[in-house]
Amino acid sequence: MNNSAIPAVQAADPPTRRRLPRNASLIIGLVLTGIFLLVALASFFYLPSNPNVPDIRHRLLPAGAPGHWLGTDVLGRDIVAQLMVGARTSILVGAGGATLSLLFGTITGLAAAAAGKLTDETISRGADIMLSIPGMVTALVLAATLGSGALTTILALTAFFTPSFTRVIRSAAMGVLQEDFITAARLYGRGRIFVLARHVLPNIAGVMIVQFTLYFAAGILTEAGLSYLGVGVHRPSISWGMMLNEAQQQVGVSSPLAIWPGFAIVLLVLGLNLLGDGLRDVLDPKLSRRRG
Amino acid sequence: MTIYVLRKLAFFVGAVFVASVAIFLLIRGAGGNVAAVVLGKSATPEAINALAHVYGLDRPLPVQYADWISNMLRGDFGRSFRTNESVADLVTARLSISIPLSLSGLILGLLIAIPVGTYAARNVGTPSGAVLALVSQVGVAVPVFWAGILLSLLFGVRLGWLPTGGWTPWSQSVTEALRSLVLPVLSLGLIMAATLIRYVRSAVLDVMNQDYLRTALAVGMTRTQALLHVGLRNAALPLVTIIGLQIAELIGGTVIIETVFSLPGLSRMILANVAAREVIVVQSTVMIIIVFVITVNLLVDLLYGVLDPRVRATR
Repeated sequence: MNNSAIPAVQAADPPTRRRLPRNASLIIGLVLTGIFLLVALASFFYLPSNPNVPDIRHRLLPAGAPGHWLGTDVLGRDIVAQLMVGARTSILVGAGGATLSLLFGTITGLAAAAAGKLTDETISRGADIMLSIPGMVTALVLAATLGSGALTTILALTAFFTPSFTRVIRSAAMGVLQEDFITAARLYGRGRIFVLARHVLPNIAGVMIVQFTLYFAAGILTEAGLSYLGVGVHRPSISWGMMLNEAQQQVGVSSPLAIWPGFAIVLLVLGLNLLGDGLRDVLDPKLSRRRG
Repeated sequence: MTIYVLRKLAFFVGAVFVASVAIFLLIRGAGGNVAAVVLGKSATPEAINALAHVYGLDRPLPVQYADWISNMLRGDFGRSFRTNESVADLVTARLSISIPLSLSGLILGLLIAIPVGTYAARNVGTPSGAVLALVSQVGVAVPVFWAGILLSLLFGVRLGWLPTGGWTPWSQSVTEALRSLVLPVLSLGLIMAATLIRYVRSAVLDVMNQDYLRTALAVGMTRTQALLHVGLRNAALPLVTIIGLQIAELIGGTVIIETVFSLPGLSRMILANVAAREVIVVQSTVMIIIVFVITVNLLVDLLYGVLDPRVRATR
């Protein structure tokens, strides 16, 4: 056989493998997110100094001071140590909120897609109602009544994000449920739950991962906002939003202390958003083309 | 169309009802003994009971809820326990800050996003399109309060052009009031624009791939003419929806920006009253905001039905 005629056909690799290396968003996103994950992990084993213990003799040191790369705050606490613990909080709260929303959103979304018209109508309208309530205002009330803290913040995030997950997962699952292989599985005698778990879930996993990444980022932004307002996490936990509030209140905006935590938030959120966009290109080409 | 409108109205009523129950339970259920908090630590049990009785806080929750709702429907939003000011007066006073702030923020966001987003869609794949995509991608990641801090650092501290915070009431000096709103509006508008650019860009891209645009080109319009005459009108539909969805975002942004620039707006009032356990004030104020958002969404839905006959038919 003469193989020289074939390459034109063989060159068509599976699309996933071919797209991956060219996907700049995915790579930059992975690197940025990876760095912050490593920093957060490292903070459990090593901190330059205790970020909550005041050291009045070394207050407001500039960046580059011996032992304090980025200087110290108004009470002499090391900025690098605070930023490291802040990464931990951001990731914990953001991922916590996104995970719980994914869990509840998957359950309700699948139920809406598969359990009949009445269930669908109830769940979908319920999600619409929850989406029309402004989250920030509700979070203020929630934090004030339940008491602020990481757990309350995660719960607040879950309450805002779940309806979006419900909607996305419902429509993705409905698309899959119309496919022929679902009919085949049904005819084979498979039950509804089996079909959902075995056939629908794997087929919407891509959508779920993308949605998770994007709301992970949104969760970090919201947590920073709530902590900035003083209704998010509190010391001894440390949040970048809280650091920005302290800097603005105690030293004024001209201090470099009002800069570093902001950079950290932007880089991590940017990384996660890029990762989400990149993953969408790989896992869900249809959607990425529609969004341009 | 009638059925469409009725369905939307039914949803409106349902949403307001569910939201009111949720807010009521959230505030009352977790608020502790309200009268005790209001009177402070030195209060005798008799005084606490007396106050609870005066404000009807000792009645069963369903009765209190029904009372609250029926008063709200008659336009009576309740009074502060401590100062006896009516919630309506408190809210109206704060709106003179919050409404101009959020509305100008939204308008500024749209004024930036519509031309920039259209330009970005026209230039997909070119260096300038890529730069715009990157800028809006970064903009979406910037927390609105940090944008506020950076802007007040630049224009307030370094250049000294504008106040970095605080508020001069409209009645004292309109110019000063406007000056204290410039940076908050700028922060809010720029952050809104970053999100909106992405929506505008994909709405315009969608339109550019439609048959009617090809037809417009075929009858001899230039690409820009076709986009302006045919495209923009069609891209307006998804945009209306997005503005509806962004209203909740906008209010969230306003809440934070009011804190960044120490503006005594609605959100600062809520924060202060939550801390003081002024349950009626908080309940009614939050409810007013929620009803406003749900109303905007209702109007958007109805407008959508008017603009696009297909929507009425399919829903």
